[in-house]
Amino acid sequence: MILHLNHTRRDSAAAATSEVVATFLTMLEEGQLTPAQFARLEIYLDWLQYKQNFREPVTVMQSSGDESGAAVRLDVRIDSRQVPEGSLRELVQKALGPRGSEQRDSAGRIYLEDFRSFRSSITWDFNRLYWQRLKDWEHATGKGYEKELPGGVSDGHQPEAISDSVGDFWTLLKDLESQNQLPQEVFILEIGVGLATRAARWLDRFCVLDQERGTNYYPRLRFLLGDYSLSTLERSRPAVMKHIELCSFIALDALDPIKTLSFLRHKILHVHSTNMYDNLPDEEIVWRDNRVYWVQVRAYVPPADAARIAGACGIEVADIERTVHRLLEVGADALPDRAKGMTFWMEIWKAIRMEERLVDAVDLPDASFPAGLSSAQMEDILKEAPGDLRIHLSSGALESFRNTLPLLHPRGYLQVQDIFVTDLHDYCMGFHGPGKLGGSIVNWVNGALLREVAERAGYDLHFAQFKYRVGSKTSVLYTTQRE
Amino acid sequence: MTLPILPTTMVGSYSMPGWLERLKTEYFSRRISRHDLDEIHDNAVRSAIKDQEMAGLDIVTDGELRRDNMIDYFVERLPGIQIDRSSKKFYYDFYDSEVLGKIPMAALGLSEDFKFLLANTEREAKISITGPHSLTKRIRNKHYPTEEALATDIARVMNMELKELVKAGAKNIQIDEPYYSGFPEDISWGVKVLNTLVEGVQAKIAIHICYGNRYGKPSWEGSYRYLFPAILSAKVHQLSLEFARRGGEDLELFREFSPPFELGAGVIDVKDQAVETPEIVAERIRKTLKSVPAEKVVVLPDCGLFHLPRDIAFAKLRAMVEGTRIMRKELGH
Repeated sequence: MILHLNHTRRDSAAAATSEVVATFLTMLEEGQLTPAQFARLEIYLDWLQYKQNFREPVTVMQSSGDESGAAVRLDVRIDSRQVPEGSLRELVQKALGPRGSEQRDSAGRIYLEDFRSFRSSITWDFNRLYWQRLKDWEHATGKGYEKELPGGVSDGHQPEAISDSVGDFWTLLKDLESQNQLPQEVFILEIGVGLATRAARWLDRFCVLDQERGTNYYPRLRFLLGDYSLSTLERSRPAVMKHIELCSFIALDALDPIKTLSFLRHKILHVHSTNMYDNLPDEEIVWRDNRVYWVQVRAYVPPADAARIAGACGIEVADIERTVHRLLEVGADALPDRAKGMTFWMEIWKAIRMEERLVDAVDLPDASFPAGLSSAQMEDILKEAPGDLRIHLSSGALESFRNTLPLLHPRGYLQVQDIFVTDLHDYCMGFHGPGKLGGSIVNWVNGALLREVAERAGYDLHFAQFKYRVGSKTSVLYTTQRE
Repeated sequence: MTLPILPTTMVGSYSMPGWLERLKTEYFSRRISRHDLDEIHDNAVRSAIKDQEMAGLDIVTDGELRRDNMIDYFVERLPGIQIDRSSKKFYYDFYDSEVLGKIPMAALGLSEDFKFLLANTEREAKISITGPHSLTKRIRNKHYPTEEALATDIARVMNMELKELVKAGAKNIQIDEPYYSGFPEDISWGVKVLNTLVEGVQAKIAIHICYGNRYGKPSWEGSYRYLFPAILSAKVHQLSLEFARRGGEDLELFREFSPPFELGAGVIDVKDQAVETPEIVAERIRKTLKSVPAEKVVVLPDCGLFHLPRDIAFAKLRAMVEGTRIMRKELGH
C-alpha cells in the first residue's frame, strides 16, 4: 500500500495518516482486504479547501480495465476534512465494496449524466444558470455573490492594488509618449466586470493621477467593459456613470474575446480580469507510468439527499432528473411554486457529487488537449513533472488566455488576478478544486500550463503574490514581451 | 527570365511545420544528428519551394526553413561572435551572443543554401538576409564604441558574403531590417550601414522593413514616416513594407517623397489566420497603385509566413496570386 499525503496541515495530516494506516491494516488482518488488494492500494489523503465540493468523504477511482485486470491498482481518495471522527473504517468498507469498485454504493444514486470530461459536465450548466439568474440566488440567500468569496470581498476591489495598477499603466503611457508612440485612442479591456466596482475605482484613480501630473491622457482612454451577461453589463453601468463617455459595454464570450473584438487586434494596451479564469470550464488528466489518463466524471445526487429534496419540494424521487433539466432551462420556475423551485435548485446543487473514472488516452482518440498545447508539448511538460500526477488542464482559462493575447498592443500587457498553481509539484501538496462557491464552480488555474502556452505565443508569464490582503490566496499574473 | 507586371514573391519564410519544429528541438536535445537534420531540412525546403510554385509565385525563396529564427542563422556564422549554446530552451529562442573583439573578415557560407534553392526551381529565386542593424540589436556589444561601429563591421563581412551569393547566381537579394521600426532614432546611421552592406553588390537589392513578426505578432507600432527622408539615400532598388495589417495610410508617403525605388507592397496579413479573398488582395493592390505606378510595384505578403499553418499559408499565397491576376487583367496585361 502506498499512501500519498496531498496536504501539509501537520496536525490533521498526522492524525489522519495514523487512522488510515490502522484502518487498512485492520481490514487486512480481518480478511476484508486480500493481500493482492492491499498490495495494489494507493491511498490519497487530501484536504479540500472548499467545504462545498463534489466529493464523497471516501471515493474509489475506477480505471478502465478494472473488470478484467487483476493487476490494476486501487485508488482510494480520502477527504480528511469530511470524514467524521471514528467513521473512516465504515466509509472505506462502503466505498471499496465487494468488487473493489463502487458497485455496492451506487444503488439509488440519481445520475444526471453519463461519464464524460468534466468540461462537458452538467455541473457547468448549473454554473451558467447561477450567473444568468444571479439575482434569484442572491435574493434567496439574502447576500450578494461577493459575500461568498473568502473574506467576503473581491481582491479586485482593493484600492491599493488599483492604485498601483493605475500607476504602472500611467508609466507605460508616459514611456510610449516619450517615444512618440502613444496611440490617439488608449484601449483598456476588463473582462468579467461584476458591478464595475473595480473599473470605477480604476478610472477615478487614473483621472486624479492624470490631473496631478498634467498629462491629459484621461480623455484618450477607451475603457471596454466586457462580460458575457447583458444583465451584468446593465447592472455595471451606474458604477462608472462619472466616466460614461469613455466606457463601452461589450457582450463577449470570455473564452474568445478576439472573436468580438477582432477590430482591436494588437491595439489594447491593458487587459485585466479578476476571478474569471477560476470559473471557466475545466478538465483533469492523470500522468502515471508515462501514460496520460483522462479523468471522466458522472454527476449524481446521493440517494439520501434525493429523498430529502424530493420530500421538501413535493416531487417524486423519480422526477428529480427531469426537474433538474427543466431547472437548467427556466430556473426556479421549474416547479409551480417558485419558492420550492429555488429550494430545489439550491439543495440539488449542494447535494451533487461526482463519480470519477480514469480512461487511458489511447482509448479516447478524439480527446484533445486545449488549443495551444500539442500532445508533444504536453509530453515534454509531463516528463519533467513528478510521477503519478493529477492536474487541471484549465482548458477554459487556456482558451480565454490564448484568444486574448492577440488583442494586445506590442507594448500592451495582460494582468489576471486569480488563484493559480504555478508549479506542477504543488499538485502533490494540496487539492485545488473543483469546489463550489455559492452556486458556481471554482477551480484553481494551472499557471504552469499557461506559462507554456504564453512562451509559444511570445510572452513571458510572471506570478506575484497578491500582497494587499493578508492571507489572500490570489496571485497576479502579468505578461511581458518575450524576445 | 522576364517577369510579368506586378510580380509576386515571398518576403522570405514559409510556414514552419510543427513536425519540423519538434525535430529541430530534438536536435538541440542531441536526440538527432546534424546529418539527419540537414536531410530533413533539404526535404522541407523542397516542399516549400514546390508550394510556392504551385501557388503561382513568380519569385521564390527557400522558405528559410533551415533557420531557427532571423538572427541565429547569421550570428552562428559571424566570426568573432561568442554564443552561449545553452541559452535556448526552444529552438526558436534567440541565442545569447556577444562580441568581445573586432569581427574578422570571413566567409559565412550562405551560398550553399542558395545553390540548393537554384537547383530545385526554375523560377526566379530570391534570398533574404537579416541586416546589420537588426543583428546588432541582438548581440551584446562588449568591444565596439558604438552600435554603429559594430553594425558597420558586420556590414563589411556580410558585403563580402553578398558578393559570394552573386557569384553563386543570386539576382535578387533582400535585406531584412525590422528593428528600424523599433529604433527609429537609428535610421540615419542605419541607412549608412545598409549602403556599406550593399556597396558593389551586382544584384537587385530590396530592403524589407516591417513592424516585427516575432511569434507572429508585431513588436512595435507607429508610422513609416520615420523612414523619410533618410531612406531616400539608400542604395537599394526596392523598399518592401507591410500594409495589409496596418492599412494603407503610409502609402501617402510614396506620393509625398517620390522615392526612386520600387515598392514591395505587403498585401497579405501574416498575423491573421483568416485567408484573404483574391478580391481583397486586388483592392489592396488597387489602393497601392494610386500612389505608385504599376511598373514599380512588387506584390508580396506583409512579412514571412513562418507562424502560419501550412494550409493557411498556401491559401494566402494562392489568394495573393489570384488577386494580382485580377489586377493585371484590369491593367490590360
